[in-house]
Amino acid sequence: MNAILDIKGLRKHFGGVTALSGVDLAINEGEILGVVGPNGSGKTTLFNVVTGVHKPTAGTVTWKGKDITGIPANQISGNGIGYTFQQAMAFPGLTVLENVQIATEHSAASTRTDFAWPTPAALLDFVGISGLAREKAGILPFGSLRLLGLALALATRPSLLLLDEPAAGLNDRETAALVGLVQQFPAHGISVCVIDHDMKLMQMLCKRLAVLDFGAKIADGPTADVLHDKKVLEVYLGGEL
Amino acid sequence: MEVYEHDRSNTMIKSVSSLRSLAPVLIVLLLLALVPLFSPSNRFLSLAISAGINIIALYGLSVLFGQTGILSMGHAALVGVGAYTAALLARDFDIGFWVSIPVAGIMAAIVAAIIGIPSLRVSGHHFVIMTFAFGQLLTIILTNGGDFTGAASGLDMGKPVTMFGADLDALPRFYLLVVAFVTVSAVASWAIIHSSYGRTLRAIRENEKLAAALGIDVGRHKIGAFIVSGVFAGVSGVLLAYFLRHISPGQFASFPSIYLALMVMIGGARLLLGPLAGGILVSFLPEVLNLDPVQSRILYGACLIAVILFLPNGVIAGIADGWTWLVRMSKRRPAAGNVSEVGR
Ligand SMILES: Nc1ncnc2c1ncn2[C@@H]1O[C@H](COP(=O)(O)OP(=O)(O)O)[C@@H](O)[C@H]1O
Ligand SMILES: [Mg+2]
Repeated sequence: MNAILDIKGLRKHFGGVTALSGVDLAINEGEILGVVGPNGSGKTTLFNVVTGVHKPTAGTVTWKGKDITGIPANQISGNGIGYTFQQAMAFPGLTVLENVQIATEHSAASTRTDFAWPTPAALLDFVGISGLAREKAGILPFGSLRLLGLALALATRPSLLLLDEPAAGLNDRETAALVGLVQQFPAHGISVCVIDHDMKLMQMLCKRLAVLDFGAKIADGPTADVLHDKKVLEVYLGGEL
Repeated sequence: MEVYEHDRSNTMIKSVSSLRSLAPVLIVLLLLALVPLFSPSNRFLSLAISAGINIIALYGLSVLFGQTGILSMGHAALVGVGAYTAALLARDFDIGFWVSIPVAGIMAAIVAAIIGIPSLRVSGHHFVIMTFAFGQLLTIILTNGGDFTGAASGLDMGKPVTMFGADLDALPRFYLLVVAFVTVSAVASWAIIHSSYGRTLRAIRENEKLAAALGIDVGRHKIGAFIVSGVFAGVSGVLLAYFLRHISPGQFASFPSIYLALMVMIGGARLLLGPLAGGILVSFLPEVLNLDPVQSRILYGACLIAVILFLPNGVIAGIADGWTWLVRMSKRRPAAGNVSEVGR
């Protein structure tokens, strides 16, 4: 398999807190990789360090063979890595359409000319919120806000999408719709790495699962195997599993 | 195909609605240009000229504060850079008004960059303090500049403004000159607000973290917005120097800076009429109410508190919201009646 993003020995300390204690993780081209782990295990920090929100304490991040360790946040999308935040967010005072226009305008990765959703209208159509184009993003119901967040990340024309708990706060119908969207990405040349607690969702989406616990990776492999791993079961004893 | 047509109608609606925001400002300015016809008093014209000179700087602040969400508490210092540039050019190089305008704009932009690059690395509240400190620093430099800056007593402006050989010194003419510059500032500010650059600035105002994730260089654009606002301030300073005929460091210290911030907050920074309303209200209110300086400072304080509490987006936005509310109420009443009747 071909690693599109290769994370090696990634560490992140916040003062005395070790959020990541040397994580190795490879995301392969064309896959949907799941990252699970208890609250506070370092999942969001992993994304934040890769996307330049935080500088890593140690370790390297290699993107398509190029070292991108610690590059500034605003250069990540230009490299073709899109991401959504755990806290659903948009530009609340601007209309939904303006939100997506901004996102399309600044993608230096527009080298991807073959992109499936080339215009703001096409993006809104794809995630299913065209009808809300004229509304201020600040008044969107939560489910639509999550979808707008996805449209914004897609607008940067990524070849890898990092999704941090994209279904958190969504009802069953909205979650199913989201799964339907995410499953289409690999066919459009977008690899995915998704964080979530919801094991049912992860089983639907991911053939491969990595598990973090206290900032370390304790398992990584085919979803079914990982879910029966002894260490993983211990971590989740009495939890959602 | 359908998608493209949809997009085109969007842009058309967009340009119509953005013109709609410019029209009221142009109409108000046209009316204001007629004021000299009614032979107003010199006192009135002087006040109107000072208000207009402030409004030019306010249009720059509206890009900075209204669009980008950055508050500068040292803006009078940038006005001062423009004023001193004009006075020094006139004294040392015999260079007049029309050349001073672009040179002062550039000088103020450079100083804004020098202030902005270190200051904007720190976040919101700290930036406010940094601009305040830089404003103070500039007055200290001007006060200690010896003969070059005229020290504490400042500089005289020896030249009049001339245009096509005519002297624009008479108050009514100078007033029209200022109205023309206010118009250019308003149009420039409007053009920025309705460009994709303006939209980028608003994105930064709304959510910096998300803006960066989408590829926007937040730091560079904040500095850019500060520089743009500096150009407006510099131009305003040139007019001030030619109007007052004498400038001194105290005119560009903390109080004038606070007044500028006050005006932009009272008028409202996001709508195009805001700077116009803020500048006129703050300049004329003490005169209309016949207040002495101490009373007027108290009034400003009270106004600012009232605006922050009740009209966070300024007077103009408050009036607009009130109007929409009234329209909606008057529409809803009969509609609500219908619904309850159907219910029965
Ligand atoms: N910005 C930060 N400053 C300090 N500590 C942080 C910060 N972000 C995360 N942490 C700490 O790092 C650990 C991992 O957090 P996080 O990555 O958010 O976990 P998860 O996403 O798996 O729930 C937690 O102990 C958290 O308190
Ligand atoms: Mg998290």
